[in-house]
Amino acid sequence: MSHKQLTDQELDALVVRSLSRLPAYAPSRGFEAAVMARVMLPQPRPVALYRRAVAWAAEPRRAVALAGSYAALALIALGVVVPWLVSHSPQISFALDWALGRSLALVHQTSAAFAGWTLSSGIAQRVQSLPVSAPAALAAGSLIAAAYAGCAVGLHYLLRTPRGLDATLPAQA
Amino acid sequence: MPPGKDLQSLSDQEVVALARAGKEAAYRELLRRYERPVFSLIFRMVRDRALAEDLAQDSFVKVLNALESYRPEYKFSSWVFKIANNVAIDQLRRRELNTLSLDGAPNASTRDEVEATALQAVDRTESPLSELESKELGSHIEQAIAKLRPEYRSCILLRHVEGRSYEEIAESLDLPLGTVKTYIHRARHELREYLEPYRE
Repeated sequence: MSHKQLTDQELDALVVRSLSRLPAYAPSRGFEAAVMARVMLPQPRPVALYRRAVAWAAEPRRAVALAGSYAALALIALGVVVPWLVSHSPQISFALDWALGRSLALVHQTSAAFAGWTLSSGIAQRVQSLPVSAPAALAAGSLIAAAYAGCAVGLHYLLRTPRGLDATLPAQA
Repeated sequence: MPPGKDLQSLSDQEVVALARAGKEAAYRELLRRYERPVFSLIFRMVRDRALAEDLAQDSFVKVLNALESYRPEYKFSSWVFKIANNVAIDQLRRRELNTLSLDGAPNASTRDEVEATALQAVDRTESPLSELESKELGSHIEQAIAKLRPEYRSCILLRHVEGRSYEEIAESLDLPLGTVKTYIHRARHELREYLEPYRE
């Protein structure tokens, strides 16, 4: 066992060496989660602006003021629009009739053009010349309809809430 | 992220850039890199585990929520330690916790923590050299560090425990380089004085 007295340099070297050997302490396990729960991650600018606007409008006084302004504007609009509609009803009625007539004429023209193209292109003759009897065509039509209905039912079951998912959970012991 | 590189292989600046772009994994990576050094620094400053956890959390929340204001020309670690040190010093000033308990820090729960934070009577039956070389020296050093002024404590911990350069410490603590060197010199001198009973 040595009884040698340490010099200042030796003691200093020991201090430095001991400091460098001190262990690093680790925080508890939930540390990272606790920090991340308080960190605000950056959001896209439009989302941030929207959230800021919603937060601004959610303050009770502002919400009441906004709702009041909205109601007042709606009343003003009604007060202006309704009398205008009443005073211009003949012209409006005429314009609606004219627009309806034009639309129907357009539909007729389109239908006539399609029918004419079907006849002139020979598609109708080709369909008529297909070696398909009336019962076979009926069966094919029925099959297609049944397949369509089956697909619809299948999709319905596929997209609905999975069976048992919303069943009540057993009470915890 | 540069192709073919994972977060762990990136520099602090690159990870910060990813975090600024909104990548959550980058935030977690920064947290993982600095949680131990920051927590250790704060724990050794306040010597109370629960309080140190709270203060370390506050420090990281400040750091991560203020990434936009971080200037990349400075070292990220300096910025992190600066914030952590300020949080710890503020706490010490507020509650004057830089006192020692003979029974260890109030929240020391495990035997190691109690040993690390408690003042212990000096057993001088062993020779000075073997005593100083023993594992117990660590706990004596911890106690001696706790007696230092907070400014000295920050400097000595950053220099000799975290291995930071003088320049980085000066940047972290907002002190002139000469002051940092003086503080570290005085801190080491005081540590030697505290350990004087072990000299022989």
